[in-house]
Amino acid sequence: MQTAKQEAKIKPFFTMTRKRGLTGWLFLSVASALIILTSFYPFVRAIEMAMYSGAGTRMQFAGLVNFQRLLIDPHLKQVLSNTFLFLLVQVPMMILLGLILAAMLNDPKLKGKGIFRTAIFLPCAVGLVAYSLVFRQMFAVDGIVNTALLTFGILDTPYNFLGTAWSARMVIIIGLMWRWTGYNMMFYLAGLQQIEPSIYEAARIDGANVIQQFRKITLPLLRPMILLTAIMSTTGTLQLFDEPFNLTNGGPGIATRTIAFHVFNVGFQQSPNLGYASAVALLIFVIAAILGLIQIKVGDKRW
Amino acid sequence: MKKLLALILVLVLAASVVACGGNGGGTAGTDGSAPAGELKGEVTVWCWDPNFNIPAMTEAARIYNAINPDAVINIVETPWDQVQDALTAAATTGVLDNIPDIFLMQDMAFQRNVMTFPELFIDLTNTGIDFGQFAAGKRGFSTVDGKNFGVPFDNGATIYAVRTDVLEQAGYTVADVTDVTWSQFISVGKDVLAQTGMPMLSTTAGGGDFIMVMLQSAGVDLFNADGSPNIAGNPVLISAIETYLELVDTGVLLEVNGWDEYIDSFVNDNVVGTISGCWILGSVQENAHAGAWAVTNIPRLEVAGGTNFSSWGGSSWAVTNVGNSALAVDFLKHTFAGSVELYETILPSTGAIGTWAPAAASSVYAEPHPFFGGQAVFADIVGFAGKIPQINVGVYFYTANDNISIAVSNIINNGADITTELQAAQEATEFAIME
Repeated sequence: MQTAKQEAKIKPFFTMTRKRGLTGWLFLSVASALIILTSFYPFVRAIEMAMYSGAGTRMQFAGLVNFQRLLIDPHLKQVLSNTFLFLLVQVPMMILLGLILAAMLNDPKLKGKGIFRTAIFLPCAVGLVAYSLVFRQMFAVDGIVNTALLTFGILDTPYNFLGTAWSARMVIIIGLMWRWTGYNMMFYLAGLQQIEPSIYEAARIDGANVIQQFRKITLPLLRPMILLTAIMSTTGTLQLFDEPFNLTNGGPGIATRTIAFHVFNVGFQQSPNLGYASAVALLIFVIAAILGLIQIKVGDKRW
Repeated sequence: MKKLLALILVLVLAASVVACGGNGGGTAGTDGSAPAGELKGEVTVWCWDPNFNIPAMTEAARIYNAINPDAVINIVETPWDQVQDALTAAATTGVLDNIPDIFLMQDMAFQRNVMTFPELFIDLTNTGIDFGQFAAGKRGFSTVDGKNFGVPFDNGATIYAVRTDVLEQAGYTVADVTDVTWSQFISVGKDVLAQTGMPMLSTTAGGGDFIMVMLQSAGVDLFNADGSPNIAGNPVLISAIETYLELVDTGVLLEVNGWDEYIDSFVNDNVVGTISGCWILGSVQENAHAGAWAVTNIPRLEVAGGTNFSSWGGSSWAVTNVGNSALAVDFLKHTFAGSVELYETILPSTGAIGTWAPAAASSVYAEPHPFFGGQAVFADIVGFAGKIPQINVGVYFYTANDNISIAVSNIINNGADITTELQAAQEATEFAIME
C-alpha cells in the first residue's frame, strides 16, 4: 500500500514544463557556446593581452603600462577626433536621410516603389572593397567628379579630393552615406509597416500636414527602430576600418585614420605590438559601451 | 577590434587543431655538408606573384631535382600579406606546424620579423652558402647581428626608367639624367616640364618610400646604433625631404594617391619616367612606346656619401625553424645561391634579376632589350646593385617610415615646418619603441 502510494506521488522527471525548458536550453546551448567561444573568450583574452607589452613574441607582463601609454600616444588624439567626426556628421545625417526616404517610399500611392527601394538598398549589398575602389576612381585627380566639375566650369584645375584632409574626410562620409542609408531605411520601412494607416487618416482629418504627421506620429512610433539603428551605426562607425583603408589609406597624413585603423597599424602593420593594440581596442569597447548606454537612456522611454 | 578578435579566434582554432593533430616534425640539423642520402622528403615553399617568383621557384625545384631526385619541392602561392599574417599568428601562438620550410620575405620586413619572432628562423651563416657572392647592399636586409638569415633573391636596385623620345623633344638625352645630382635633375625636369608639359616622374603621395630610397642612396638609415630613432635633425633626412618638396613644388614630380594611379601615370604617358625598384620594369613595358624607353641610375643627394644607387622592394628567401630545414638549406644552396643556370633561365621569362654575382657574368644578362632601345638593361641593373650602400632597417622601420610620410604630408598640405614635423615623427617613433 505504502509503496503504491509513494509511486503515485513521484512525478516523472521529465514533466511537460521541464521538457520544454530543457529543449529550449538545448537549442540555446549551441548558440551560447559559440558566442562564449567566439566573442566572450577572445574579449577576456584581449584584456589579458593588453597587460603585456613588447614587439612580436618578445612580450612581457607590463601591468597597466599600455593604458598609461594611451594617454601619451601622439596619434591617438587625431584618430579619435577623426572617428568622432565621422560619427557626429555621418550617423545623424544618415539616420535623417534614411527616415525621410523611408517615409517617402512608404506612400502606398507611389509608383515604382519596389524599384526605388531596391535601388536605395542595393549599395549595402555591394562589396566594401569594390565600392571603395569605385569611389577612389571617381574622386581621383583624373576621375569622373573632377571631369564633371571641369566641364561645367566650376573648377579650373582638377582638385585632389583624396589628397586634401577635409575633402578626403568628406569623400569617406559620402561613401558611408551612400552605402548605409539604404540599409537603415529598410529598418524604418519595416517599422512603418507596423504603424496603422488609420492613425495617419485620423491625423489628416484633424488637419495635420505632412510634416506634423512625420514629427508627431512617424518619429515617436519609430523610436525603437531609430534607437536600434543609432546604436548599430554608432558601434559600426567606431569600428570603421574598410573605407579609410581602401579609399585613402588613412591619408593624407593621418587625416582619415580611424581608431580601428590605428589598432591595425599598431598591431599588424608596423612593428607588431599586440599588447598596446589590445589596449586601444578596449578603449573602442569602452567608448561604444558608454555611447550605447547614453543612447538607450535617451532613446528608450521604458528605462 | 574586429581584426584583433579575428586574430584571437584564429589562434583559438589553431590551438584546437594542434591539440587534435599532435605535434609534427622536430628541428633537423642545419649542417649544409650533410650527406645527400639523408636529404629527402618534402619542402614547402611560400611565395607570391605567378609571373615572377613562382616560375623562378618552379625552375629552381626542377634544377634541384636533377641533383637530388628524392626531394619534393611543394610550391604554394601565398600573397605577402598572408605570409606576414601567418608568421605573426604562428609566432604569437607558438603553433608552428602551419608555416612552410621556406618562404619569400620583403626585404624591408626581414629584420623586423627576425628580431620580433627570432624563434621562427634559422641562422644560415655557417651552412656553406657563400654570402660574399651576393651584393652587400642587398645582403644587409636579411642580416641581423652579423648573421645571415636570408638568401637574397630578386634585385630591388632602384632605376630611373625614362622615355628618351620625350627627353629628345626637349633637347636632352639620357646622359643628362645619368649620374646627376637632384638639383641637376630638377633643372632638367623644369625645362622638360615647360617644353612638353610632362613631369619627370610620379610617386604616391607622402613619398615615404621615395624618401627612404634617397636616404639609402646616401647610406643613411633612420636609427642610431643604439636603436634610438635618428629622425629629428638628421641632416640627410632633411636634405631628402627638402629635395622631395622641391620636386613637388616645381611640378617635376607628380604626386598621386595610390598604387593604381601611380602605374597609370607612366603607362598612360602622363609622366616622362619613373623611379622605383627594377621590378617595376614589367609594368613599364605596358606603355605603348616600346623602344623609346631607357634605364639609368637615380639622382644623388648632395651630402657626404651620396650615391646614385639605392634599393626598393626586393625580397629574400628565409628558412624556418620548422620541418625539414636541412633539405631546405641544401635546396637554396644549390639553386638561388649556386646555379647560374637558374638565373639564366628565369631572366628572359620573368625578368627576375638576382643579386648573385656569379650569374651576372652570364651572357644572358648582356642581351640587348628591344623595349629599352636595345640597351642591355639587366647587365646595367646588376651593375647598379653592386654599388648600393648598405643600411640597417631594424624592427621599427615601418613605424618610422609611416611617421615620416605623415610629416611630409603635413608639410606639403598644411605648410608645416620641417623641424617641428620631424620632431613629432621622432617622438611618435620613440613612442612605438617604448615597451
